[in-house]
Amino acid sequence: MKKYILFIILFSLISVISFAQDAATDSTAVTEKDKPVRSPFESGYLIGAQTTVIQNVKTLEAVIQHTFGTIENGHSDLWGIYAPGANIRLGLDYVIMKNFQIGIGMTKKNMMTDLNAKWTIIQQTRKNTFPVAIALYGNVAVDGRNISAFESGLVRQAFTGPTTSFSFSDRLSYFSELIIGRKFTDRLSLQAGLSFSHYNSVGTDYDHDKIGFHFNGRMKVSPQGSIIFNYDAPLKIKEITEQISWTNPPKPNLAIGYEISTSTHAFQIYMGTADGLLPQDNIMWNQKDFTKHQLFIGFNITRLWGF
Amino acid sequence: MKRTLRNLLSVVTLTMIAVVLFAFVTPQDQKAGAPWVIPANYKSMANPQKGKADPDKVGQMLYTKHCKSCHGGSGLGDGPKASSQETKINSFKDAKFQAQTDGQIYFESFMDREMKSFEKKIPAAEDRWAVVNYLRTLK
Repeated sequence: MKKYILFIILFSLISVISFAQDAATDSTAVTEKDKPVRSPFESGYLIGAQTTVIQNVKTLEAVIQHTFGTIENGHSDLWGIYAPGANIRLGLDYVIMKNFQIGIGMTKKNMMTDLNAKWTIIQQTRKNTFPVAIALYGNVAVDGRNISAFESGLVRQAFTGPTTSFSFSDRLSYFSELIIGRKFTDRLSLQAGLSFSHYNSVGTDYDHDKIGFHFNGRMKVSPQGSIIFNYDAPLKIKEITEQISWTNPPKPNLAIGYEISTSTHAFQIYMGTADGLLPQDNIMWNQKDFTKHQLFIGFNITRLWGF
Repeated sequence: MKRTLRNLLSVVTLTMIAVVLFAFVTPQDQKAGAPWVIPANYKSMANPQKGKADPDKVGQMLYTKHCKSCHGGSGLGDGPKASSQETKINSFKDAKFQAQTDGQIYFESFMDREMKSFEKKIPAAEDRWAVVNYLRTLK
């Protein structure tokens, strides 16, 4: 199983790079300065994932991410729209220097507040001097629930006594991801990523660390519209697990949607399985299974302001 | 109680009449844009992208993204946001518009006036000229 997963990761990353190399060979004679490709993605967000796109310097991006309840109950709760279990994240990201942004977000689920940063180290260029874009994304999130929640929730669920040793750091979780993306054609852009998630405090049945594989992309179908998808797979790696057997391992997240973009907005509507909205939540805790129709409707709205 | 109701009714009726009457007083038409004062260097500015093929449809893509919502899909000035603008949006198909030099169109398209500058949103000059070239195809 492990070999199989490693093969998928390596294959995805290598194929993204090697496809790029094919196209690179015919452009060596050109001496003109090679510029970055135009908008491989319309926004820094792609469903629940991050893209290698960072807006122009001094741009503020506001985002509303929302997921409804699952569609399991059909029309009785209007496919999850009336159902409990909705989650929402409000975020603000600001580009402080070229290809580097910082952000803050508030998520309803577990009262999470996150601080994040993204750095696009290399942008893909039009003449393939750099055939891919490479970005680093990281965040730290604070679980803001009342202390009593940490005894009944996923965190510290095995504890029964008073939480005398509970400290602020037990509320923290981290996520870091390396994203490699390529705009293959004007229509098709794909990204693959590897991530590391860490929770400072978890119940005894769970792992503190999880490595995730991410694959997402967009296929433009009109000048403003694209079909988008996102797949996040928490990997089962024996070497880093703290458990003897896999009990309730987190499930992969699959989401497919449609994006409409304008000058200042990107609107994405999708169906997906992991409703954490924070990437570490999706990688660490998702128990919803798309093979069992545990899908929900969600949407993202982003708005840009230039200063 | 009856008196209060009657007073209330009078106030509401008077307000409604006032609203209806004011509708005739307040100008409903959008104002026409003032004539453009275009610096000489822009008037004679050469279009470095003139005649260049645009296989990636950059001009069309940027027009669709940034301009279409007001200027309309075919440049008639009839996009969904056009009617809420204070200034009337003229058609790109207009012979008067198309008679201008590329430099004039560039200035009108990207300098701050009623329409906010799009220089920040379309930072590369090459891309802005691609938009000018696209406007030429709308006639």
